[in-house]
Amino acid sequence: VRAGHHCAQPLHRLLGVLATCRASFGIYSSARDVQALVDGIRAARKVFLR
Amino acid sequence: MSFGSLDSLYREVVLDHHRHPRKNRPLGDYDVQASGKNPSCGDEVTLQLKFAGDRIADIGVISHGCAISTSSGSMLADLADGLTLGEAEKLAAVFRRALRGEETPAEVDLGDLEALTGVRKFPVRIKCALLPWVTLLDAVLSHRRGGDGSLPGSKAGDDQPEELVVQLKDGADESER
Repeated sequence: VRAGHHCAQPLHRLLGVLATCRASFGIYSSARDVQALVDGIRAARKVFLR
Repeated sequence: MSFGSLDSLYREVVLDHHRHPRKNRPLGDYDVQASGKNPSCGDEVTLQLKFAGDRIADIGVISHGCAISTSSGSMLADLADGLTLGEAEKLAAVFRRALRGEETPAEVDLGDLEALTGVRKFPVRIKCALLPWVTLLDAVLSHRRGGDGSLPGSKAGDDQPEELVVQLKDGADESER
């Protein structure tokens, strides 16, 4: 997971967002990693939508 | 996986500053403006300062970015308003020390910033918390260069420690500015 501009500021301007989080897979990614991402997104929603 | 330290970082006081940033408006009339960016993560802040002599008489902090940088800017708006140049520099330096986990002088009250020192546990985010403060130092520097006669160290009773300021400026490097 990478956060920020991903060296693609013009794209973010075009999309009208300040920064994004990007999740990507590698050959080493496991189901556990995916679960950790889901847990993380849930935790973030809990913090920022409360 | 535990999110305990995340919870302690995003405390209610931090989220409140993020949702309702203080003095988040442009000033109609200002003496100095400074902007800071963290291009890698997308945080942006613009500070506008109005001075009355050596003192910050009004401040506008226009932030776009993550919760850490906007709340830090909002706290800056609260804390720096009414300070002298030397006091503002000292506060910035002390906050930086706190973020590095170093000892801070007891006489300096960090106020709500205390809640942001939890960012220590997330080294890549320290630059977010520092952005508004580094930008404040830029603004103070350009005000001093602006020729109002108040050169650094020229004021009686100014206890602003020069080396602290230098240290803070050095820190801008590690923040990928």
